[in-house]
Amino acid sequence: MKITDLFFENPSLLLMMEHFDLNFILNNKTVEEVCRDNNINKELFISIANLYNGFLQVNESNLGIDDLNLIIKFLRNSHQYYINEKYPEISSLIDLVHQENDTPEIKLVKKFVREYFEDVAEHLDYEDKTVFPYFLSLVSPEAEKKSATNVSVKIYSEHHSDIESKLDEIKNLLLKHITLKNDRKLRRKLLLCILELENDLQIHSIIEEKVLMPLISKVELHHLNEK
Amino acid sequence: MKNNTLHVALIEPSQIISEGLTNILLKSKQHYHIYKFDSLLEIDSSTVKEKLNIVLINPSQLYINKTDYYHYFRKIIPNAFLVGIIYSFFESRIMESFDAVIKISDSAENIESILDKLMKSKSQFRNNFLSEVLSDREKDVLVQLVNGNSNKEIADKLNISIHTVVSHRKNIIHKTGIKSQSGLTIYALSKKIIHIEDFAAY
Repeated sequence: MKITDLFFENPSLLLMMEHFDLNFILNNKTVEEVCRDNNINKELFISIANLYNGFLQVNESNLGIDDLNLIIKFLRNSHQYYINEKYPEISSLIDLVHQENDTPEIKLVKKFVREYFEDVAEHLDYEDKTVFPYFLSLVSPEAEKKSATNVSVKIYSEHHSDIESKLDEIKNLLLKHITLKNDRKLRRKLLLCILELENDLQIHSIIEEKVLMPLISKVELHHLNEK
Repeated sequence: MKNNTLHVALIEPSQIISEGLTNILLKSKQHYHIYKFDSLLEIDSSTVKEKLNIVLINPSQLYINKTDYYHYFRKIIPNAFLVGIIYSFFESRIMESFDAVIKISDSAENIESILDKLMKSKSQFRNNFLSEVLSDREKDVLVQLVNGNSNKEIADKLNISIHTVVSHRKNIIHKTGIKSQSGLTIYALSKKIIHIEDFAAY
């Protein structure tokens, strides 16, 4: 299948391409060619594309330790997308809402959203600076020297469910509960913007929990057996 | 039990899927009465409308030419569950309209248990669907929560058991979709359940 056909079917795959660090001008290449030329495991590419296409399940059995670098790059790029693009976008839309509605509840919403973004940024930073480097060190040549850390799947997923449930609250407050003046356009933009973020976050969590963590467990097990 | 028959409407354009699903349902332990329709409009004009427990529908029949028939559905058959028959990609917005979904990869047992669970969830679901408005007692609890009181403190102040407080809290979360204290504060303000003057922390 030609890769551009995929984009016409589902434009959010363009976002996936960004996360993969791939250019969009692909000279009408097929998925297979794109993967081969960029040294991407086709199974990984297809698994993630399927997530974007709404099949929220992954089979990680076709993926191996060699894919780890790319998966982490993908996750890091998504972090950048949240922090540099999505959060400012949502904040500035809420600022616009505030301009039209100078009420105590909107002020509190702004504070709520700001604190939420700060919390998430902190968590993402922890992943970028601590968790991912640890994972990468496991597959590096000097891996044996490393001792196990306490990065656990459980802590990991708890963080995520919190990130998602707070976003849900923001969505409910702004779109269901708070009365706004002249709100149609702004509310639509906000909703679309939040849904985009929500969708990508959901995929992000699935990749971390269903792809990354099982791979890491495999690697850790492998190291234990060697000892 | 006599009253155990479930009345199911099936709106699925593919004959293979429609026949297959019918077969699976008819073979299951649960007794189903299946009615096939070409569209929601057809259900509206039929006499079985009142009896229906479940409507199995291909999402493409709920969103025809980008028109959303979901609210129409809720209006004409408010008491039935809406179950999507999913075998291709649909936006999450559409997926969220369904009370449950059957996927093409589901086994017969899966399908049975999905429908079974759905029927069991009935009473709980119905309450949520009817009302998102907080009761007076729930509002009382909300005000206490916003003021930072613990379950025990709330129970003492309102003269109710801790168990009751917990169940009010659950209902509040369910109805509003909001869990955190700051979120609830914003909710209470915007619904004028509390006023900014009474709210010291602001």
